[in-house]
Amino acid sequence: MAVDAVEAEYDLEQEHEALIQFVYVAPAGLVQARSDGEIVMINPVAAQLMMPLSRDGNLSNLFTALSDIAPDLRSRMAAFTAPQGMVCDGIHLPVPGVGKSERRLFSFSLIKLDDKRIMAMLQDVTWQAKRERLLRHQEAWLNAVLTGVSDYALINLDSRGCVTEWNESIGRVTGQGSDIVKRSLAVFYPEDAITPERVLDRLHEADHSGWSLDDGWRQRANGTRFWGSAMIAPHRALGDESPLAAALAGATHPGYCLIVRDMSGHREAAEVAHHAALCDHLTGIGNRRAFFDAAESELRRWHRLPRPISLLMLDVDHFKKINDSHGHPVGDEVLRHITRVMAATFRQVDVLARIGGEEFAVLLPSADLGNAQRAAERLRATLEAQPAPTDAGPVHCTVSIGIATMDADTPNVDALLKRADDALYAAKRSGCNQVCGPGVVAEPS
Amino acid sequence: MNTHLALEFAQTDILNHLVALDAAELDALDFGVIGMGADTVVRDYNALESKFAGLSKERVIGHPLFTVVAPCMNNFMVAQRFEDAAAAGAALDTTLDYVLTLRMRPVKVQLRLLAEPGSERRFVLVNRRL
Repeated sequence: MAVDAVEAEYDLEQEHEALIQFVYVAPAGLVQARSDGEIVMINPVAAQLMMPLSRDGNLSNLFTALSDIAPDLRSRMAAFTAPQGMVCDGIHLPVPGVGKSERRLFSFSLIKLDDKRIMAMLQDVTWQAKRERLLRHQEAWLNAVLTGVSDYALINLDSRGCVTEWNESIGRVTGQGSDIVKRSLAVFYPEDAITPERVLDRLHEADHSGWSLDDGWRQRANGTRFWGSAMIAPHRALGDESPLAAALAGATHPGYCLIVRDMSGHREAAEVAHHAALCDHLTGIGNRRAFFDAAESELRRWHRLPRPISLLMLDVDHFKKINDSHGHPVGDEVLRHITRVMAATFRQVDVLARIGGEEFAVLLPSADLGNAQRAAERLRATLEAQPAPTDAGPVHCTVSIGIATMDADTPNVDALLKRADDALYAAKRSGCNQVCGPGVVAEPS
Repeated sequence: MNTHLALEFAQTDILNHLVALDAAELDALDFGVIGMGADTVVRDYNALESKFAGLSKERVIGHPLFTVVAPCMNNFMVAQRFEDAAAAGAALDTTLDYVLTLRMRPVKVQLRLLAEPGSERRFVLVNRRL
């Protein structure tokens, strides 16, 4: 018995030591601290990464030791009111180079365990980030240059996305002359297909991931359109890895390179694939997925940089009656008529989608309540005035419209939809054929 | 007769004394001693250091110091100093304030880094800061 007890104790010691070594050599920095940042436990990799950052040569407090690279940790912690959970999840912290050591990139996660304890994980991801950026870069550039294209224009942009100089390829592909110098890259898009905010979003995306690519209609100087793609990539400052980090460090942004490709030969294939995935079969406008994809990315952009965004919810009035008296094929023709009028009413940058049987949503980027209300009223009035041409003759149809605009109290797409939906029901209750929204008085028709 | 007992963390010319000591004599010192070769593989690991770190000698001796035993020293403040001194063919004897994560507790220590161009042996000495 006594021998067993001694052996058991020996096993436990061995296990304890193995466990200690396991944490010693774990290739990630682990720190447990009190909620005020006071370090309770820390493993060697955490010390390896944090010691060069610590101004006082101590590792007593997590927030203090990291204050140079993450000055907002204390306030992030204070702002996190949930009883537990992820305070930051793998955020990237650029670490300035010291002496001979190069600039590095740390990945940092912070978890609140309870009121008293937090846990942090720190990793040096400098090489992973470089490798990934390089791969994405190569892929995007190969795609941009090598994929069978009719022609491409190479355009230099300044830090705000304005053309810095004219060259022959611009003239060849877009027909633009030297008067486009100093004009925004929006000049290559059809009118209403891009907003100033969206231009900045794309530059931000290019800074963040090394490039930004989108396919769609482009416009030549003479107003004709071609199916093309536009890729934006930030120029690298000499000896610099990330223009974003350089900009943060106060250096001048070196600007961007824009490649506009004429992909006329590829349009059909691209459009078919796009259509199958994202378009409503009956009406040809966007489907639910297209709407939610667009709305979610627009709201993400809003959270980074708030700007007006409005949402319309539309419901066809008494649609059941139309179906019952004329049959479903006529009902379908009415829906197609409505979407044609919608397409003629809204801008190209607006996202039109059929999200239910006779229910539609329109997302209007960079449109405030007034813009949204005017567009909605125009649509309502046009539909009231123009009956749908159908096999059964002209069918009179009207719509009710609810409007919501994005604000800080709206956490996500569902909440925004819910508010537009509430407004829509207010419009229905006021007798249909109405536009309702926050502060919008239902106008008697 | 036990002249090594008189060895102190801060005394000058300590490297020449250390290389003369055997394992039992290193164990008798009142500061931590980690000895390694030019390949960073640990050769000496004295009793005090073993007790501080919670690792037995068997788990440490024969393993590379900066990757398997003490990753916390694998940065420009410690590991790089040895590399730089070797590259320059210069002697290294420097003392710095540091924090070790002994049994995951942050412990303030002084490290003394020792290397000689002609010698294979290199040392990291560990003294607790008060």
